[in-house]
Amino acid sequence: MLTGRALVTAAGVVVALIPLALGSNYYLFLATLVGIYAIVAIGLNLLVGYLGQVSLGHAGFFAFGAYTAAMVGKALDGIDGLKTTGLHLWGGLVLGVVVAAIVGAAVAYPALRVKGPYLAMVTIAFGIIVFSVLMEWTAFTGGPLGITAIPRLRLGGQPLRGTSFYILVLAILAPVMVFQHNWIVSPRGRGFVAVRQSEVAAAAVGISVHRTKVLGFMLSAALAGLGGGLFAFHQAYISPDSFEFLQSVFFVLVVIFGGKATRLGPVVGAACLTFLPELLHRFAHFRLIVYGGLLVAVMYSLPEGVVGTAEAWFTRRRVRRPSAPLAVDLDGAARVGELAPARAGSPGVELLRIDQLRMQFGGLVAVDALDLVVRRASIHALIGPNGAGKTTVVNIVAGVYRPTAGRIALEGEVVTGWPAHRMARAGVSRTFQNLQLFGQMTVLENVMCGFPLTHRAGLVACATRTPALRAAEQTVRGQALVLLREVGLTEQADRVATALPYGQQRVLEIARALASRPSLLLLDEPAAGLNAHEIDVIDDLIQRIRDWGVTVLLIEHHMDLVMRISDVVTVLDYGVKIAEGAPELVQRDDRVIEAYLGRVRSVACSP
Amino acid sequence: MVFFLQLVISGAAVGSIYGLVAVGYSITYTTVKVLNFSQGQFVMLGAMIGLTFHVWWSWPLLPAIAASILVLVALTLLVERVSVRPFLSAESMSWVLSTLAIGIIAENVAQLVWGREALPFPAAIRDQPIRWRGMGIYPQELLIIGASCALMAALDLFYGRTVAGKALRATAHDFDVASLMGIDVKAMVSVSFAISSALAAVGGILVAPITLAESTMGNILGLKAFAVAIIGGLDSPRGIFVCAVAYGVFEALCAGYIYPGIRDTLGFLLVILVLLFRPSGIFGRAQIEKV
Repeated sequence: MLTGRALVTAAGVVVALIPLALGSNYYLFLATLVGIYAIVAIGLNLLVGYLGQVSLGHAGFFAFGAYTAAMVGKALDGIDGLKTTGLHLWGGLVLGVVVAAIVGAAVAYPALRVKGPYLAMVTIAFGIIVFSVLMEWTAFTGGPLGITAIPRLRLGGQPLRGTSFYILVLAILAPVMVFQHNWIVSPRGRGFVAVRQSEVAAAAVGISVHRTKVLGFMLSAALAGLGGGLFAFHQAYISPDSFEFLQSVFFVLVVIFGGKATRLGPVVGAACLTFLPELLHRFAHFRLIVYGGLLVAVMYSLPEGVVGTAEAWFTRRRVRRPSAPLAVDLDGAARVGELAPARAGSPGVELLRIDQLRMQFGGLVAVDALDLVVRRASIHALIGPNGAGKTTVVNIVAGVYRPTAGRIALEGEVVTGWPAHRMARAGVSRTFQNLQLFGQMTVLENVMCGFPLTHRAGLVACATRTPALRAAEQTVRGQALVLLREVGLTEQADRVATALPYGQQRVLEIARALASRPSLLLLDEPAAGLNAHEIDVIDDLIQRIRDWGVTVLLIEHHMDLVMRISDVVTVLDYGVKIAEGAPELVQRDDRVIEAYLGRVRSVACSP
Repeated sequence: MVFFLQLVISGAAVGSIYGLVAVGYSITYTTVKVLNFSQGQFVMLGAMIGLTFHVWWSWPLLPAIAASILVLVALTLLVERVSVRPFLSAESMSWVLSTLAIGIIAENVAQLVWGREALPFPAAIRDQPIRWRGMGIYPQELLIIGASCALMAALDLFYGRTVAGKALRATAHDFDVASLMGIDVKAMVSVSFAISSALAAVGGILVAPITLAESTMGNILGLKAFAVAIIGGLDSPRGIFVCAVAYGVFEALCAGYIYPGIRDTLGFLLVILVLLFRPSGIFGRAQIEKV
């Protein structure tokens, strides 16, 4: 693997040097553009490929970088001291990045709540607004004519142009690529992918989906701004034409063509789509027809993009080796202790208290006047016929819904209305009735996402991959493996989550929920759809979890299971609590029998 | 007041065109979750083909429209086969790229066949504005509004009352279940693309007398139609049409009272504002996440 990476790096360096050897100014010009577009595309890839947020407005961020750099550079160029050092130009470049990042955060705000085509529209609108302002605000932006005679970047008094500028772009592209790699393999990068694959599950493991998206937009916009600044100094002349909608489309094409969510995709895509039109010059008037036709043809034959398809091909051919860390033998007895809740407390004490909870969806009252106390280190079952409001209670406690009325307290602290990620951080973990695994991640990665490091890791540490972060990652990896061993999934650690049998997927979700060492674990129908053997596994697992000191609130329809393992059973019907107590008492309760089986008509009963 | 009314009418006319095209986006999106990003270019092709039959070959208008619709539907079915169907299975975004590519190709073809210049397209009814209480209203604008409303009503009836319309709705609701019920879902996909391109053809021919027929006319038109489809709510054709007309009027008022250059800035700012408060569009059903 390491040799493979070294090989790719060496090949990359050689390819990057080719334009220098050709001695053609024109190819050098294009190669510089490739580098600039690649920087923008890497940012877009983080957003589109990894975080799963579409942007068809990146030309707007690109424009902010370009215009900021150009305007600052031009405005300050008259000052004597600066003219020789060129500091103001570098300052303009940096300022462009900052401005673009701020604008990125501003765009993220309306983009937070919208999805799919609606999100695409927000970004398209942003791009068009930037373009029309550039066109119309002539006094400020120069209007359709743009900004001419932008000074060249200078280093040591020498203007950077041609070869030296190309080398500068490479010198910036290289660390950007390193950053991209660091980020993707970091806990935060995993958080990006988690948000892409399931926002509810990401929030359930403590990731703030909002903050992650804002961060994604900011990073992506900053890189687009960096590319824009370089573009301005490269061209020495910018006008709105370079920042219209089609430019945004081009950036997306680069990412998809190269292969989204691949590390080399943006660079390969930028190179292909920059040089392709040049190769098509001979087609003259038919140029765009051939271009469009080739795009469709490539998508047809390489559906995952150039790099994505190539990677899939190599992965299929490579013989799978067991990953090294799996072989590490862990001292189980010592480590199981680490699975106990992060915040200890004595068993039997009140952990969760719900007072007069009410949840209304439009006219439907799903939960009404519910009081519930869950005691520490107990298994508390919540049962009731379909539609009784059980999952609604779980969703409220997990922070997915904000209750219409009522109060929820966790360990004495009022937590009513806290969002899901905050509840998760406060010690409430959950599984889902409809599985919400991070489907394209491996089993091990799924569990690793459950650890608080995913949302706690420092941003700078993630970007630079510090030794401390690597050490923390190794610890988390070790703990995740202990967890997997405890739930019996060690053999599957390297498999893609969705490739597991259904029963094991349910177990995996429980393992992921345990990773944060929660005080309270909400299990929403963990045995649904399982066979008898798989139910036994779950049965045993839930009891062991309780023995670790984790409190379990269990929703389940398998009455055998519920009655066997629960300490307390609460029965809901139509959103109202109708019975509560030890399993054997609840089983004999008339109202419970009525709720499940219906009332026996008294007439029929009489002899 | 006169100026205001004039702006409203011409805005409503342009808005109706946005509406026709926007409903086209909605139809394919609800059926197969695919947005045909070459929709704008199909509007342009509709105008160009209509122009060829009507002006170059002197066909009467109605047969020319019918011919234009037929040609465009045929083209769309081909495009759907080549650039949409292969990419449906994967959850990839390849269809974004492939439909954009089709748009690029269509524009280039149009430049080769009809040239780069804007071509005049004769109005369907007389060219002179009707004078009424100091207003000058172009009959073409009234025709656009009337024809669009009629088309929308017809589409509404088709969806609500006919078996084919119901089959389309069933497919839109649940692809797999519709398929199990014996509905030929692949055919439904084709039908949805055919309807959306027919709307594009009519839209192109109706708008061309006002904007002139030009190879680039579809670009911004396609984007604005997409914008109104979004603020209306992709799953609500009626809502889309209402929003489209309102958007057209808003644009006309901005251009008329403030200044023309600010039209797109304010228009798209409005789009963002609407989405800020209604993330699924004004008439769209909010998606409740089932957990």
